[in-house]
Amino acid sequence: MNSKTAGFFQEYEVFSKRTATSPMQYQFSLLAPNEEMALVLAQENFMRREPVADIWVMKRSSIKKMTPEERLSLLRIDNKDYRNTKGYGYLQKKWRQYEQEMLDEKEIFSWGGKLKK
Amino acid sequence: MTELGTPSFKKTVVELLYQLADDDFILACRGSEWLGLAPHIEEDVAFSSISQDTMGHAAMFYGLLEQLGEGNMDELSHAREGSQRKNAVLCEIPNGTGHYLKEPRYDWAFTVVRQFYYSIAKKIKLESLKQSAYEPLAHAAVKINMELHYHILHWTVWFKQLILSGGEAKQRMLEAIIRVEQEFGDVCSLGPLSAEMANLKLIDKEDVLLERFHNSVKPVFHTLSIPYKGSFGYRSGRGRFGEHTQELQHALTTLTEVYRTDPAAAW
Amino acid sequence: MINLESLEDKNIRFMERIEAGEKIEADDWMPDEYRNVLIKLISMHGISEIMGALPEKEWVPKAPTLKRKLGIMAKVQDEMGHGQLLLRVTEDLIKPLGRTREDIMEDLFTGRLKFHNVFHMEAPTWGDAGLIGWLIDGAAIITQTNMLNASYGPYARALKRICAEEVFHAQHGEAIILALAEGTDDQKKMVQEAVDRWWEPLLMFFGPGDAKATGSSKQDVTAKYRIRSKSNEELRQDFFTKYVPRILSIGLTIPDSTMLYDQKQDKWVYQQPDWEKFKEIVKNKGPKSQERLRLRELSYENNEWVREALAQSEEAI
Repeated sequence: MNSKTAGFFQEYEVFSKRTATSPMQYQFSLLAPNEEMALVLAQENFMRREPVADIWVMKRSSIKKMTPEERLSLLRIDNKDYRNTKGYGYLQKKWRQYEQEMLDEKEIFSWGGKLKK
Repeated sequence: MTELGTPSFKKTVVELLYQLADDDFILACRGSEWLGLAPHIEEDVAFSSISQDTMGHAAMFYGLLEQLGEGNMDELSHAREGSQRKNAVLCEIPNGTGHYLKEPRYDWAFTVVRQFYYSIAKKIKLESLKQSAYEPLAHAAVKINMELHYHILHWTVWFKQLILSGGEAKQRMLEAIIRVEQEFGDVCSLGPLSAEMANLKLIDKEDVLLERFHNSVKPVFHTLSIPYKGSFGYRSGRGRFGEHTQELQHALTTLTEVYRTDPAAAW
Repeated sequence: MINLESLEDKNIRFMERIEAGEKIEADDWMPDEYRNVLIKLISMHGISEIMGALPEKEWVPKAPTLKRKLGIMAKVQDEMGHGQLLLRVTEDLIKPLGRTREDIMEDLFTGRLKFHNVFHMEAPTWGDAGLIGWLIDGAAIITQTNMLNASYGPYARALKRICAEEVFHAQHGEAIILALAEGTDDQKKMVQEAVDRWWEPLLMFFGPGDAKATGSSKQDVTAKYRIRSKSNEELRQDFFTKYVPRILSIGLTIPDSTMLYDQKQDKWVYQQPDWEKFKEIVKNKGPKSQERLRLRELSYENNEWVREALAQSEEAI
């Protein structure tokens, strides 16, 4: 390692949004001397063929990552239907008895537009 | 085909388009010689996008000339002699000593300063061209202008950081500024038909554009605490008037090596 | 966290993860053998992309039309970009060993780190520029897609990005080659000569069929750790299957009169390249090895002031 140039090679993680409404997504990492430079290098290194609406760069040392041991804390039993719509699927049949449609995800997300009377 | 009015209107449009096309073409070629040789791998990739954009802009301007019956764009970019070229001499100056394949000792400071100055001057021209009386050019200017934001951002970051880091880098940058300014009069020149261009409302007057350039660059120098001289020369020639360096001829020999083997062939 | 696991237990658990198809990440514990084989493989892959930019770069200014100039610029840019991705993957693997990108470059210049045989060769005509895109990238696609499911997550992810761009490279190469193959007699001659020049390097590209040919092979280790699934010979055979019919279909010939597809054995029979020559080439004794290394080294030295200037800039700016 060259002590005079070592500081040039800082690790930055790059995130970007494809469109204004999409979530930030991790892209890749690059080496740059500072965050301003990391930002101008990010777009053409990782998103030169796709639309991009925003870019974040972050110094890798600022990120707290999980160790493999900590990742064990992510395991859980598959018994939590009560948290999801899956546990309430029987409602569809019930509502049919009352000649009503079930208000499922698709239906509820459609309410942003003009409602059918 | 667009309304071209009088023959002198057409002649003036053509003159302006050659300047715009030839500037971008030769500078993009100089940029592409850096491929694989930039100071940093990540920068190599980013710089190449800028050279590609710039070559793409040249292709758009040559395309407009093609529509005006000047010949097809490959012919215009590859078959014209050095003496027919209208690019500013600054754009043709080599990146440093040596050949791109043999002992290239390229000068990053000169490249950064040249690109920084050029991008700003180009942006100012494009802003003016957006109102050009020649509509196809105005349309092209709107599109091309979009990509200039990134070019300016990129080169401003390099320009500022190398100067702010002081020491040898600052010294190299200050020397590069002198070199670029010695040639920069040519970039700001609109050539022999400059007055007609303004009269026909194709683009603003040279001195108006120059004033805008100073107003854009002066504040950058100010924040960097370095003096802005703002006096530009024509040390190696007036490219707009067909004066060029030997280096342009060398570059054209390389750039057209394959094309010239059979200009009629499909490649 | 207290870790009482013995090295042997760790190794067993690691192999269980590999065999279960789990992905290993940069910060995970891994056996030295795994780390070392990855470093060797990926640093060589990465530096080959960087060195691979150079033969095509020769043709960037010379490309015969505006469209071709743009296409080849974008292609060489991608090679540098692939180098960037792969060096980043390597850098994370060598970080615990206290090594950095600068050490990788140093290793390249001293000859400790080798690059692919094909990038030591001459590319004297525009036909070579097209052929590199078509067949060298074709060969690279065959070897790289074979590792898309590599057990090392960061490598697999980089390869996914790379392979997506290789599709463009292959088509860029095909476009040049088809224009030449359908062109004038001189143009046709240009492609055929390029095929003749590159045939042997192409066969070498996949590496020796077994350790007997060159005295060493890391094939077994990479298979054990599920980094790659097919052998060198299987990849070479895949290449023949995909490309030989295409080469012949556009009126080109293959400079190996013994070559044929043997129905009974279900494989291509061909003349082996000179593996002794291969060993020499990858020791940086190929026709263009020194010249291209010199280009890289010179640009590295020549721009050192830039890196020095900005090395302290994180605090300063």
